[in-house]
Amino acid sequence: MAIVQQPTFAGLPPSARRAFFALVLLAICLLFAFPVLWLILTSLRPESGVYYVHRGLEFTLGNFAEVLRNERIVEAFVNSGLIATLATALSLMVTVSSGYMLSRFRGPSASTWFGTIYVFRCVPYISWVLPLYFVTQSLGIYDSYLGLLLPHIAVHICFFSWLMKGFFDGIDPSMEYAALIDGCTRWGAFLRVALPSAVPAISALAVLCWLFTWNEFLFALILTGQRTPVITVVMAQFVSEMGLQWNLMSATAVMALVPAFALTLFGQKYVVRGLKI
Amino acid sequence: MQVKNHPHSSFGERERFALLLITPAALLLLLFQVLPIIIGANASFRDWSLNNPKKTWLGFAHYLSVLTDPEFLQVVLPNTFLFMLVSVAGALMIGLGLALLLNRSFGGQKLVQTVLLLPLMVAPVIAAIMLRWMFNDQFGIVNVVLETIGIEGQPWMAQRWSAFGVILLTDIWLWTPWFTLLLLAGLQSLPREPFEAAAIDGTSAWRVFRYLTLPMLRPVIAVCVVIRAIDAFRTFDIVWTLTGGGPARSTELFSLYAYVHAFLNLDFGKGSAAAIIGAVIILIVGLALYRILNRVIRA
Repeated sequence: MAIVQQPTFAGLPPSARRAFFALVLLAICLLFAFPVLWLILTSLRPESGVYYVHRGLEFTLGNFAEVLRNERIVEAFVNSGLIATLATALSLMVTVSSGYMLSRFRGPSASTWFGTIYVFRCVPYISWVLPLYFVTQSLGIYDSYLGLLLPHIAVHICFFSWLMKGFFDGIDPSMEYAALIDGCTRWGAFLRVALPSAVPAISALAVLCWLFTWNEFLFALILTGQRTPVITVVMAQFVSEMGLQWNLMSATAVMALVPAFALTLFGQKYVVRGLKI
Repeated sequence: MQVKNHPHSSFGERERFALLLITPAALLLLLFQVLPIIIGANASFRDWSLNNPKKTWLGFAHYLSVLTDPEFLQVVLPNTFLFMLVSVAGALMIGLGLALLLNRSFGGQKLVQTVLLLPLMVAPVIAAIMLRWMFNDQFGIVNVVLETIGIEGQPWMAQRWSAFGVILLTDIWLWTPWFTLLLLAGLQSLPREPFEAAAIDGTSAWRVFRYLTLPMLRPVIAVCVVIRAIDAFRTFDIVWTLTGGGPARSTELFSLYAYVHAFLNLDFGKGSAAAIIGAVIILIVGLALYRILNRVIRA
């Protein structure tokens, strides 16, 4: 594909062309990384230096220590982590089996289910997130783990079932038939034969699902209150209530970025695959 | 219907297994998506305030009051459409440019990919916090830089259009890498022969892009645009964190409008009506986009 671009720089010698290309890339990377770098720099500045981040060279880790002393924030981190992990595990369990059903079965029940999923995938979620508040309240799970967890699982059902169907469609079912003939139960054929071949695709989806839930804001804002703080909501409150303490704000945000960055660095293969689905 | 024709698969063990597989998903869907939609639709016709749900039937009163609200017609709707247009177009163009640039082998490709993935991993709320700090009127780095080169700093978040610009910038920063990644994957799956032929004929880079790359990439672009446009329409978190809809409700988008009415003004009925109006609009926009893009793909 290099052919497409080359004529633009044809007048330049190859080394100059390479240098120019490298510079452009560097500029782009800096531009995209700058807000994050700036946030990290701010989080390392003492309170006295935070308003002049670009001047002075005092650095401290005190902001992080101070944030970690705030019980509400620590609780929010724990809650967010737990909810994201549980939501990922449960929604994958639910959607793997529903996607498997869509892929392997024909007939009225499969086509009805497929139609339902297709229709509800198109409903924009603002029209069900507001009344969810009443649903969770009347079920007595408002502002609790369950009250946030179950809607989060429900959010992903349509889209993920659809993706899972695609994964299973790509796996040859003859192995499962062979297992059935050999006396394996249907559950055995599903769990021990089909599922292992879908693991790479499922891992990609798991990474994305975890990130979605960790980063999610609107559901958490509506479905949680004082008892179950989660990190995105706490930060958004922080920015309006304690808007002047940018060093603490930044330290909190940096800590919230850590899991996401760890995933980018170590799970990049899965992230990229997941995004290309 | 296949079931009836098939002698071995009467409603029995096989069908039970199939139903069992979807039961948890179906139950969750029913309880947390279907039921809320029904409650919301019901509430939109009633006098249903959050602290005093009288639930008297009002008919289309809420719909009328939203559709005649000058705030909704003159601020919220234009904002939402402008936001959708600029943020999708901006991210698409920058993303396409980057994808073309990255579509070659060079050292450090992995590193560039990692950096470009960063914004995708950042929670919108955090992105909004970062940009809000950078554009802080007194201490933000943007004003500091402007003042060193002799331009007067702006109270960015206190003026309608500059605040709106910061919102757009945040969204474009967040979503450009997504376009880059998908378009790059698209570019890499294109056949090589036409490009080689063009190179032999000495075709200019622009003509290659215009008459080869772009037409072949159209389907990918179309899909990206539809998905992103529908998402952009319901953007909530970055606006909420950056401006809260201010100054003076001038940067409110449609999701924010529905939320403000339901949970801050405590008028759940009107909020639901606004949400349903928005849902209908996005459905129409989505269908129209889909039609247009289908034609684009076939052309």
